[in-house]
Amino acid sequence: MQKTLYITSNGRLRRKDNTLYFETETEKRSIDIENIEQIHIFGEVDLNTKALNYISQYGIILHFYNYYGFYAGSFVPRKKSVSGDVVVRQALHYLDKEKRIFLAYCFVESAVYHMMRNLRERKEAEAFLNAIEDEWENGRFNISSISELMGLEGRVRNIYYSSFNQFLPEDFYMEKREKRPPTNPINALISFGNSLIYSTVLTEIYHTQLDPSISFLHEPSEKRFSLSLDISEIFKPLIVDSVIFKLLNNRQITLEHFDEDLNYCYLNQEGRKIFINELRNKLETTVRHRQLNRNVSYKGYIRLECYKLIKHFIGDQVYSPLKAWW
Amino acid sequence: MFVIVTYDVNEKRVNKVRKILKKYFTWVQNSVFEGEITYGKLEKCKRELFSVIEKDEDSVYFYEMEYKIVCNKKILGQEKNYDSVIL
Repeated sequence: MQKTLYITSNGRLRRKDNTLYFETETEKRSIDIENIEQIHIFGEVDLNTKALNYISQYGIILHFYNYYGFYAGSFVPRKKSVSGDVVVRQALHYLDKEKRIFLAYCFVESAVYHMMRNLRERKEAEAFLNAIEDEWENGRFNISSISELMGLEGRVRNIYYSSFNQFLPEDFYMEKREKRPPTNPINALISFGNSLIYSTVLTEIYHTQLDPSISFLHEPSEKRFSLSLDISEIFKPLIVDSVIFKLLNNRQITLEHFDEDLNYCYLNQEGRKIFINELRNKLETTVRHRQLNRNVSYKGYIRLECYKLIKHFIGDQVYSPLKAWW
Repeated sequence: MFVIVTYDVNEKRVNKVRKILKKYFTWVQNSVFEGEITYGKLEKCKRELFSVIEKDEDSVYFYEMEYKIVCNKKILGQEKNYDSVIL
């Protein structure tokens, strides 16, 4: 219900008339602050402490992205839902090696499940699907450390990405996954989508009692809110990849939506708008939840994932990761 | 729920009313706001308005719909996209 705002143009956010205004050189728009949950900022935006103070009153999170669309950081207002009990228990699950591997395995399992789900409908990718299944089935039972798990996940992901060439348009040929910086359009798309998901997950964690810096699959010492990296693993193939497939196969995004420079590549403003719009539609799509017996949006499923983790930490119910059944 | 708000208020208070409505809804036309909102927030908005308006002089109309789809919005002439979430 609460809206997410995306700002791709340049301008100024300011507090005026006890609400928020976004002003560009040509137009001025008031924002219905009561209904906003988070704001993603891609353009060059000015704002001052007066605006920040007002924003934090409403618990709105600001996510900032740099010129190339990479996640730069967030402004997170004082956390209102805190529970020392949950944080302590969360940390205990990190310290206990067995418990930590269990959770890390859950995240990877769900990620692999969703990757296979993406390929299942495509005839061209059948060989790759079998390869992933082999790799996964052989590896999954002899994992004794997190780094082994990471290695297995990396191998699966490599096969997964190499299957993209079979069903995506030729313009978007991918030799290999490259990050920081992406050098070709498809890598740029994946990176951009992942950073959006990453911050969306962070917003959902913020609304629960979880501590975003204690993670299980990723090392928590990475100076980042790494729990949201963990949870994003589940949703990256489920949400981002299917949005990319749709946009490319319907030719909604073509090569003209990219700016290419000497050794990197990124979406231009027009391309970002198309991508964001599609991702937003996806996040708002609802699917009937079998236990709750009501419709839950993809975004809602992210929140539910956080709640399931809390239940696991306090010993209420063992965590079982989301596996899309629809 | 989806709500359309129109108001006819004495000039002295018209700005106060407008500023309150701006926090909750998107501005559509002069004296008209619309938007999706929760029951709780709508109630909060009404209370705020009630403390500002003069009961026997001003009026604010709320057209409340359970779902946005129920409202069959048709536009003649210019459509101004004030409620887009991508700026």
